[in-house]
Amino acid sequence: MTETRIENPIIEVNNLKFYYPGNARALHGIDLRIPEKQVTALIGPSGCGKSTLIRCFNRMNDLIDGCRVEGEVILEGENIYAKDTDIIELRREAGMVFQKSNPFPKSIYENVIYGLRIAGEKDKRLFDERVESSLKAAALWDEVKDRLHESALGLSGGQMQRLCIARAIAVNPKVILMDEPCSALDPKSTARVEETIKELRNEYTIIIVTHNMQQAARVSDYTAFLFEGSLIEFGSTDQLFVKPQNKQTEDYITGRFG
Amino acid sequence: MNPAFFKKVKRNDRIAKWIITVGGMAIIFSVVFILILIAKVSLPLFLAPDKDLRAEFQLEHKTAEDKILALGVDEYLETGYRLDQTGTFRFFNVHYGSPLDTLEVSSETGSRRLVTARTYGRLNHMLVWDDGSVTIEHVKFYPFFDEKNDNVRSIRHRIERLASFAAPDYGLPVETMARVSDDGRQVRIDLFRSGEFQVTIAEEEESLFGAGDRIEEMHQLELGAVGDVTAMTMSTDGLKLYAGTSTGEILRWDLSDIEAPLLKETTRAFTDQREITALNMVFGDISLIVGDEQGGVSTWFPVRDADFGWKLTRIHELQGHTQAVQDVSPSPHDKSVISFAADGIKISHMTSERFLVGFDHGAERIVDFAQSTRGNGVITLSDHGTVQSWKLDIPHPEISLKTLFGKVWYESYPEPTWAWQSSAGTDDYEPKLSLTPLIFGTLKGTFYAMLFALPLAIFGAIYTSQFARPKFKAIIKPAVEVMAAIPTVIIGFLAALWLAPLIERSLGSMFLSLILIPAALMLSILLWQGARKVTPLKQVERGYEFLVITPVIVMAVAIAAVLGPGLENWLFGGDLKQWLFNETGTRYDPRNCIIIAFAMGFAVIPIIFTIAEDSLSNVPQSIKAASLALGASRWQTVWRVILPSASPGIFAGTMIGFGRAVGETMIVLMATGNTAIMDLSIFNGMRPLSANIAVEIPEAPVDGSLYRTLFLTAVILFVMTFIVNTVAEIVRQRLRAKYGRF
Repeated sequence: MTETRIENPIIEVNNLKFYYPGNARALHGIDLRIPEKQVTALIGPSGCGKSTLIRCFNRMNDLIDGCRVEGEVILEGENIYAKDTDIIELRREAGMVFQKSNPFPKSIYENVIYGLRIAGEKDKRLFDERVESSLKAAALWDEVKDRLHESALGLSGGQMQRLCIARAIAVNPKVILMDEPCSALDPKSTARVEETIKELRNEYTIIIVTHNMQQAARVSDYTAFLFEGSLIEFGSTDQLFVKPQNKQTEDYITGRFG
Repeated sequence: MNPAFFKKVKRNDRIAKWIITVGGMAIIFSVVFILILIAKVSLPLFLAPDKDLRAEFQLEHKTAEDKILALGVDEYLETGYRLDQTGTFRFFNVHYGSPLDTLEVSSETGSRRLVTARTYGRLNHMLVWDDGSVTIEHVKFYPFFDEKNDNVRSIRHRIERLASFAAPDYGLPVETMARVSDDGRQVRIDLFRSGEFQVTIAEEEESLFGAGDRIEEMHQLELGAVGDVTAMTMSTDGLKLYAGTSTGEILRWDLSDIEAPLLKETTRAFTDQREITALNMVFGDISLIVGDEQGGVSTWFPVRDADFGWKLTRIHELQGHTQAVQDVSPSPHDKSVISFAADGIKISHMTSERFLVGFDHGAERIVDFAQSTRGNGVITLSDHGTVQSWKLDIPHPEISLKTLFGKVWYESYPEPTWAWQSSAGTDDYEPKLSLTPLIFGTLKGTFYAMLFALPLAIFGAIYTSQFARPKFKAIIKPAVEVMAAIPTVIIGFLAALWLAPLIERSLGSMFLSLILIPAALMLSILLWQGARKVTPLKQVERGYEFLVITPVIVMAVAIAAVLGPGLENWLFGGDLKQWLFNETGTRYDPRNCIIIAFAMGFAVIPIIFTIAEDSLSNVPQSIKAASLALGASRWQTVWRVILPSASPGIFAGTMIGFGRAVGETMIVLMATGNTAIMDLSIFNGMRPLSANIAVEIPEAPVDGSLYRTLFLTAVILFVMTFIVNTVAEIVRQRLRAKYGRF
C-alpha cells in the first residue's frame, strides 16, 4: 500500500480495530490520516467496513450493544476513545448526515436549531442567524425561507437531506461525516446535494461514504478504498482514479467486482 | 400469468373485500344496536304522562238534594262508590255507571245523618255524624273466586269500621278530624264555634303484661295570637297535627304524649298573610301539603335551624291553580300530590316538582274526586252528576332531569343535595335517584387510578423501550402483558381483603414511603454522580439502572414500614386516622381512593404500558441516531424527539386506559365500599356508575323507575366512553399530523 503523506491531519486513525458483538471483526487495523477542510471519500464494496469506519469517528457505534474498539482515533490531537472523552462534546464536533434523511418531526426552523437547543442555547437572534446561514450553506435557504415554521416532513427527499446537512452544520462542527447521503435520492436531488458538498469544502472537513464511484470522483479531494475491513489504498482522488497503485483498487474502480 | 390463476386471485380478492366489509359493518351495527337497546329501555323515563278517559256517565238514582260526601274506586278502576248524607255507600260499575249494590252504615249512637266525610289513606273515610260522633270506615275490596261457577273471579267489597269516637261533651264542633293508628290509638280534634280547639286522645295504657286499661285524655290546644283556623290535617297515625290559619300561619303540634300535647311551632308561612285553604300530609307522613287562597300548592317539612330548632320550611313549589285551592290530597301510592280548585284537578309529583296531569269537566265543575290506590286512575264527579273515569299512565313521576342531575331537597334532609339511595324498607320512601354522585364517583375513581397508573406506565414504557437492555425488555414486556390477563375479580378481592386492611393498618408508613421513595431516589442519584467515576460502575448506566434503583426503593419502603408507627405515635398521637378525623373532620373509610388507585391502577397499567411501549419502540432508530449524532444526551433525545414522535400512541394508550378505568366494574364493586357520596377526599370511597349497575340491577323491578334509571346510567357510561374515545381519536389524528408519518 502506498502512502500519501498528509500534513496536519484533522483526524488520525491508528491501528483501529472494530469488533461487532460476538467478536466479529469488521475493521482490521486501519491507519488513516484525514486532511483538514477537504472532502475525503470512503469507497469500497458492500460490507467492506466503510460505514463502520465513519461511525467510529463520532462513536455512533457505541449504540451497538457488545461492540468493541481497539486502537485510536485522534481528532485534533485528542484520542476520542480515551476514557475521559465526552461523547456529547465529540458528537458536536463531528456532525453526521445519514444515508436515509431523518429530519425530526418538527418545523424546519426547529430542526436546524435542534443542536443549539440541546446545548442549552436560548438566544433567539443566534437561532435566526444560524438558521439562515446553515440553510444557505446547505443551499436550501431559497427554497424554504418562506416556510421555515412548517413541518420538515413536508419537504422532498433531496430537500430533507440538505436540511439534515444544514442541521449538522448549524452547530459549527469541525468535521461532517456523511454516510451515503445520496443513496436514497433521485439524480436531480443527488446533484443538488453534491453541489452543496462542494460548496462546503472550504469551510468544513467532510468525510463521505459512497457507493457511487462517479460521485466520489466528482466531489472528493481524497479517496480511501477499503476492502474486507482493511484500507487498501488512500490517495488524492485524481491519482487514485487515474492511476491506482493497487490491483484490487483498479479492479474495483474499473467495475470488475463490487 | 395464467389467466385462470389471475381470475382466482381476483375472485379471492373480491371475497376478502366483502367479508371484511360485512364484518366491519356488523361490528358498527351491533355497537349501535346495543346502544339503541339500552336507550330504548331508559327512554320512557322522559315520556310525558298520559291520561285516558275510560268512561263517562251520569250517576243514577241521584237526586238534587243528595249531597255526595265521598267517592272511592278500587285499584283496578272497576268498582266505584259514593257516600251520601244518609251514610249509604252506593257501589257502581265504573265502566258503565250501572249501580251494583248499597251498603249502609250508621253511627254507634244510632245517628243516620252525616254532616261531613273526609277520605284519607287507602279508602279510609272519616265520617262525622250529626250528633257529633265520628266513625272511621274502611272500604275493602277483595277478589272472590266462585267455586260453584267455574272459579270465576270477581271483586267483592265490604265495609270495615276501624274506629268510632263519641261526641264531645259540650256542643257540636264546626270542624272535626279523627285518626286511628294501627295499634288502636285514637285521636280526635274538634274546633268549636267559640274558637276552642280540643284534642281527645285515647290509647291503651302500656303495662308490663301487654294490653292494659284504655285511658282517654282531653286537652285544650292553645292557638295563640293567630288568625282563624281554616284548615287542618293529621298524620295517619295521629301523632302530628297541623293547622293552617286565615292569615297564613301554620301551627304544628306533637301529639305523641297523651298527657301533654305540645305546640312545636307557629310559622308565618306566607308573608302576604294569604289564607291557607287546604292542608294534608304527603304519603309517608313527613311532608305537609299546603294549598292557599291564591291557588299555590307547596310542600313543607320541618328543617333543623341553628337558631330556631326545627322549623317548617317550604321545600317544593308545585304547579298551582288560578283560584283558591279547595283541597289537597296525597297519592296513596307515591309522593304525588293532587290539588283541587275551581279550575280543576292537578296532579304533580313532590320530589321532581313535575306537573303530571290535570283534569276538568269543561263547562261542568268538578266537585269531588277519588284516586285508585295504585295511583293509576282517578274518577271525578261534576256538579251535574257526571262521573269520568280516567286511566293514568305515569310510570315514572319522580324522574326529571332535575332529580337525575340537579340538587334536590329530599324529605328530612337538612338541605338540597345530590343523593343516590334507590330503595328502603318501606313503601312510603322517597327514592333518591341522582346520577351526579355516581358520575362523580366514576370520574373520581378514574382520576385516582390514572394518577397512579399514568406516570408508572409511561415512565416504565420509556425506560423499557429506550434505556433498558433488550434482554430485560424481553422479560418485562410479556410480564406486564400477563398482568392485563389477571381477572379483575381477583384484583378486586385482593384489594378489598388484603390491601385495604394492610393500608388501614399502616397508613403512616404508606405516606412516609411516598416521601421516602423520591427522597431516597434523589439521594442515590447524588451518590451515583460520585460512584460513576469508577468505570465498572459506569457500565451499569447502560441498561442495568434497575439493579441500583430496586434496592433503593425496597430500602425506602422498608424504612417507612419500620418508622411509620413511630412517626404516627410522635406526630399524630398514635393514630393517623383518628388525628385526621379530629383535626380535619375527614373520616377514614377503609375502602377508599388509595385502594382504588392501586387496584384499578394495577388493572390499567398494562394497557397503557403496552401501547405506549409499542409506540415508543416504533419511533424510527434513524431519528434517535440523528439526535444522538447532534450531541444530545439519551434523556434529551427521549424528551425532545422520541416522546413527541410517540405521543399519538402514548395518548391513545392513555385514553384506552381511561376508558377501561371508566368502565371497570369488578374492582370498584369490591374495593370502593360503594358509598354514593360526593367528596373529593382520598380517604373516602365512591360508587361509580358501573358498580352501581352491577349492585342494583338484580333487585330493580323490571320496567320500574330504578330499572330504567340504571339503563340510563348505562347509556351515560356508553356516551362517556364514546366521547373519551372520540376526543382521543381526534387528538391522536392531530398529533399524528403534527409529528409525522410514523
